[in-house]
Amino acid sequence: MGLEIDAGVPALTRVGFDRFRVGELLGTARATVDAELASGLAGPIGERTETAAAPPGVFPVLFLRALRLALSGLPDGGILARFELDFGEPLAVGSEVEISIRVGDAYERRGRAYVVFAFEFRDAAGELAVAGRMVTVWPDGPGQG
Amino acid sequence: MSDAPLPAVEEPIDQELIDAYADLAGDYNPLHVDPEAAARSEFGGTIAHGPVGLQAFFRSLVAWSGGAAPPAGTEVRATFLRPVRPGDTISCHERERTAGGERLEIAAECVNQDAATVIAVRAAVPAAAQ
Repeated sequence: MGLEIDAGVPALTRVGFDRFRVGELLGTARATVDAELASGLAGPIGERTETAAAPPGVFPVLFLRALRLALSGLPDGGILARFELDFGEPLAVGSEVEISIRVGDAYERRGRAYVVFAFEFRDAAGELAVAGRMVTVWPDGPGQG
Repeated sequence: MSDAPLPAVEEPIDQELIDAYADLAGDYNPLHVDPEAAARSEFGGTIAHGPVGLQAFFRSLVAWSGGAAPPAGTEVRATFLRPVRPGDTISCHERERTAGGERLEIAAECVNQDAATVIAVRAAVPAAAQ
């Protein structure tokens, strides 16, 4: 599905809030914007809708898969607070992309811990296709990991 | 691209769809896929992944733009205000539009069947793309 996750990669990560260092590169992954993925997100989720370019819903999906690889799982009980996407030139279906993920920020506010992931999708020529940020309420906070 | 407002788009949500999205994204957070664990959470039951609720906006934006993807230079900022739950129907509506300078700014909301805003969205589209 565009970016394969090996069966050995855990579903849920044990990475605690204290592990994150702002600016740190968490990982990179290569993916393909394949027709199955693109068509399943061009209309109602899961209904095949033909499309020539990657619809916006493709990017959160590939980002989450890349984040799971980078963190060896996704946070158990994490909550999405905000999602930002800046679009470059549309990506044709079949395009190869490289996804890089950094720690954009990590902070505590009103008793909740937030981790911001900053990510980029670059095409095969190295051009920026999409940049974005995901703000997540992290399950644990400072000193709890 | 059109001078018309964003078209209203609906996305019905059920647990089957949430489970399918979990498979797609590889995101098996128990809040989304484990009814028993989610029942013990602050939400009292499963909730959809954030991008599931946002899909109505994505579809609306692409339909309005007239292409297969948002025009280059488009920025989207989505703030998740309330959970989207199985049984909800999420629809996207444009609330405000500001034209001027180099960008067209659009404020939109994804609301549930009770008219509660679940996601607030601001999008900026380059005027040159119109």
